[in-house]
Amino acid sequence: MFFFLTFFIWTCMKHYFQQLLCPLSFRRFGNSLSEYFHLLQLRYNTLKVIGAEFGTSVLSYFIFLKWLLTFNIFSLLINFSFITIPQFLAAEPNNLSFTGLELLTGAGYFQQTVLYYGFYTNATISKIKNGPSYNMQLAYIFTVGLYFVICFLILLFSIAKSFWRNFINPQAYSVNASKLLCTWDFNITNEKAVKLKQKNLSMQIKEDLTEVNWEVLSVSAKERVVCISINFASWVASLGTALAACAGVYFLSTNNLKLFVKGHRNDLESQAAMLVLPVVTSLLNAFIPFFYSWLGRLERFKTPGQHIYVTITRNIILKISILGILCYYWLGIVAASESQCWETLVGQDIYRLIVVDFIFCLLGSFFGEFLRRIIGTTVYVSLGLPEFDIGRNVLDLIYAQTLTWVGILFSPLLPVIQIIAFSIVFYVKKVSLMMNCQPPRKVWRTAQMTTSFIFLLFFPSFVGVLALFSHTFRLKPSEECGPFRGLSSMYAAVSEWIEILENYTASKWVVWIYHNLITSELFFFILSTLVLIVTYIYWQIIEGRKTMTKLLYKQISNEGKDKMFLLEQLRSLQRAKQTPSAPGGQGQAGQS
Amino acid sequence: MKGFGFFTSSNRLFFLILSCTDNYRLCILFYRYRDLAPQLVPLDYTHKPDVTLPYELIGSMPELKDNPFRQRIAEVFSEDGDGNMTLDNFLDMFSVLSEMAPRDLKAYYAFKIYDFNNDDYICKSDLEKTVNKLTRNELTPEEVSLVCEKVIYEADADNDGKLSLEDFQHMIIRAPDFLSTFHIRI
Repeated sequence: MFFFLTFFIWTCMKHYFQQLLCPLSFRRFGNSLSEYFHLLQLRYNTLKVIGAEFGTSVLSYFIFLKWLLTFNIFSLLINFSFITIPQFLAAEPNNLSFTGLELLTGAGYFQQTVLYYGFYTNATISKIKNGPSYNMQLAYIFTVGLYFVICFLILLFSIAKSFWRNFINPQAYSVNASKLLCTWDFNITNEKAVKLKQKNLSMQIKEDLTEVNWEVLSVSAKERVVCISINFASWVASLGTALAACAGVYFLSTNNLKLFVKGHRNDLESQAAMLVLPVVTSLLNAFIPFFYSWLGRLERFKTPGQHIYVTITRNIILKISILGILCYYWLGIVAASESQCWETLVGQDIYRLIVVDFIFCLLGSFFGEFLRRIIGTTVYVSLGLPEFDIGRNVLDLIYAQTLTWVGILFSPLLPVIQIIAFSIVFYVKKVSLMMNCQPPRKVWRTAQMTTSFIFLLFFPSFVGVLALFSHTFRLKPSEECGPFRGLSSMYAAVSEWIEILENYTASKWVVWIYHNLITSELFFFILSTLVLIVTYIYWQIIEGRKTMTKLLYKQISNEGKDKMFLLEQLRSLQRAKQTPSAPGGQGQAGQS
Repeated sequence: MKGFGFFTSSNRLFFLILSCTDNYRLCILFYRYRDLAPQLVPLDYTHKPDVTLPYELIGSMPELKDNPFRQRIAEVFSEDGDGNMTLDNFLDMFSVLSEMAPRDLKAYYAFKIYDFNNDDYICKSDLEKTVNKLTRNELTPEEVSLVCEKVIYEADADNDGKLSLEDFQHMIIRAPDFLSTFHIRI
């Protein structure tokens, strides 16, 4: 009886669930479903609208921005949970008052908050007596170290995936065929944008048909010498400008230090003086690239792609050298000065740099796009609407992210600032794009550019920051503040901990790993040799495959020729078969 | 379906997986299909009704109405090659044009779209029609002819004067932008 009852209930439920889960019977869902979809569509909609009107190349900037935003949210989660929350438990009261100016300068009230390194305690936090304790020193070092290891792995895998997907052998790239058959952007669904793209494509095809290859032209030796000297002169000018900018920043920063060492007056004048260095740095970063693009217009390049790459390289050299000088100032001069808490000072400097850079980014969008559109449509109508400058905007993003990475040791909550900044930049740029810009005229090789962006983020930025950190860990921390006060270097916290662990037999393996793998040079030497050998093997395999491809190409072409030859033979045989019947018939008729 | 033999097991699996696990996308696409003609398309598909929407409705969708290749797209994915699509055809079309479709599948359908006379080769006349659609008939016939000759010269590996599916796929491999441009968001 019981068995039949369960069987009956089971068949009823099966029938009921089949009705429910049947994928195409939508009677049950009705109106609520359409509302749900509308909400989910909102996130998709912004990217879709941008791609629809401006194409994939501009869309790649916004996707990169969103990716960086997710990155910063992830770093915030790690830092907040492992460092800041324990610090809240052991926090000292803040006696300073809050004026609105702190948002800009980062000093004043913020100095005694979790925003900066100086506020963190060096004690072992334990709320419950004889309960589990939390060693702040080790937590700080290991959290930051772990964060960088994870970043490294994420960036490495992104580059590898991007490179594998998008790498083109430049010799094998068939320009015309791809331009015709593979680059029509099906994303664009705006009628005006489609017409514009068609017009651009026809203009490009006309240009390609009429242009003469610069190399093929027999250029006279004199012209070639003139060209090379112009290139050389513009490189000298750009490097000289970068050097002058660095010297200016260095001079300003040493002046800045005198201000701090003199005293901590919190009045408006000294606060305003603190802002001079970031404002000057951002001004240099904003205006020197215009000079570089003017130089680029004077020179003659073989391809427009070369022009873009040279301009981007010069901008990167400028930004990296300015950052380098600032890091030397922070780690070399401020760290060795007699100021009370040098890490907090460095953290405040970086905070100010990030905030001022963000303000300049918004101003750049206002002047570069909004005002330029007004000028282009009313005063100089020939200029037309501005184009969205993808290269410069991406470099700004990479620079901002590099600043965050540099500052994360001295100010663990810097990702919060960056998240707010990036979110505002996303919406401002989107609105500015829709209102002021026209779709790009030249066809960008989007996939290659995306790979280069991630590569630029990894190689100069991330690796540079890693090198910086390995130097910072050996510096002497300040005596009166921060989790490492009193130690000879930040790294000493780890070595002290290993010494403590040596006394416990249960953790002998940790000590063994530390002495034989992490601090031993032989291990890293062997590791590097292995990596080099594996790279060489893979390189040889690729070379072999390239030769194989060439041979197979020749084979296909020969087969095609064979096919043509045999078809001709067949046709001539058929013709020969048909024609003997006609004269034979006539001969017979003539004979008879 | 003509050409079904081309589909490898991985592509068939792709359609199966897409239709099974992506119910959310399926729902959106069904609602879009129904919005084109609410009086023709029933809400209940359990009895597999035989409903075909004419090309004019499909071609008026905002995602397709300005695309120069919309007619070819509708013809390639429709049952009889005339542009009138059932729900299955509609779902197939947006699945292939989504970002999850594998490269080979997209290359196959892109080839069919550019093959105007359906002879399994992109010959010079197909290319000329493509160029005219891409440039809105702004080029002179000599320029069009020159461009088509250049394209065939670059991409034709077996020298038969037209592009076969293998030539086209080989060209796609060397153009990584293809995956992101042959894509319609819905």
